[in-house]
Amino acid sequence: MNALDLLAEREDMISPGISACVGCNVELTLRIVMKVLGPNTVLAIPPGCMGGVGVVGWNKRSGAKVPVFFPLLDNTASMLAGIRLAYDAKGKDANIVAFAGDGATVDAGFQALSGVAERGDRIIYICYDNEGYMNTGYQRSSSTSKGSWTSTTPVSKDGHGGKRQNGKDFPMIMAMHDIPYVATASPAYVPDLIRKVEEAMKVRDGLAYIHVYNPCLTGWGIRAEESISVARLAVKTRYFPLYEARRREFRITVPVPKPLPIENFTSRIKKFSHLGPEAIADLGKLAEDRYAFLQSLCRGKDNNA
Amino acid sequence: MNEAEKEYISPVGEGLYSANTGDWRTQKPEIDQETCSRCGTCLIYCPTSSVRRADGRFIINLSFCKGCGVCAAECPNGCIAMTREAKR
Repeated sequence: MNALDLLAEREDMISPGISACVGCNVELTLRIVMKVLGPNTVLAIPPGCMGGVGVVGWNKRSGAKVPVFFPLLDNTASMLAGIRLAYDAKGKDANIVAFAGDGATVDAGFQALSGVAERGDRIIYICYDNEGYMNTGYQRSSSTSKGSWTSTTPVSKDGHGGKRQNGKDFPMIMAMHDIPYVATASPAYVPDLIRKVEEAMKVRDGLAYIHVYNPCLTGWGIRAEESISVARLAVKTRYFPLYEARRREFRITVPVPKPLPIENFTSRIKKFSHLGPEAIADLGKLAEDRYAFLQSLCRGKDNNA
Repeated sequence: MNEAEKEYISPVGEGLYSANTGDWRTQKPEIDQETCSRCGTCLIYCPTSSVRRADGRFIINLSFCKGCGVCAAECPNGCIAMTREAKR
């Protein structure tokens, strides 16, 4: 089934009216992911944008057509490990899925997630990385790019400030846990995203982790209609490469043989608007370094473009 | 609890939560069916799943459309126009 037929024919498992920002590509990602996963799914959404917009619901009503939980920021993965054990004890099979932001994954939830990866609990963990705590007011996270304006890394009138540290290369950290499946995805590459969720559903012997790069419109300062095009530019400039790894077997799924200059990506985003050419070049160099490292992991395969 | 809900360890709740996001719209998309090539890009990228396919044609259900303009920006043929909503 191709991507269009799948999205056109399958039932939307999320309530039609959830109050995500206008044009939010995390809402798009969640709907696509849930259409692929289908009704036999238990969903956990920790505090974050998708928890706040009503997917977990209000007042005994739920914003998803599947059982949905609201775990704490830091125990999502271990809670799902428990749900898997309960389902196993009842002799039932289901997709046990987390849909968590980068704060609940890269920062606060990392210990629980790393534990699940090491123990080999069979869950699917999807992280939507919008580089910050966006639903509480754009605070920095350890996934935020260097130089970014956030409400906790402010910028002075003469253009000084912004985050001083590089963001974690988190999907690579997860790949180094030797788990059965790790992938990065983008809402601009929908068929690639769908295939990766389908691959994650096939995993039987441990954690499947998917890291989705979602530019945040309100937090980063992007116009609503540019939601998808900015996400696409992150891939085309090699800033966020799309790849998958099965127990250290790496493969780039969307090769970028001729990357666009990093300015094409950063100039569309207000949170980088104070950065001078040197700081932008630093971001470009980091992207190139990480891409070269990724290529070295894929060496010996035919698709290391 | 009905039969379907008993399948799950946790109850599903009393019903579906739904906000009236169609009220937010300041501009609305319109597909020009004459120039539309039926590629489905608008359906793939619509964040609110407001684009439907019916008899091979693509139509926009405005009930929950927030008017973000992603469909118009992504349409490869430029056949989706955004027009201002009348004041409500």
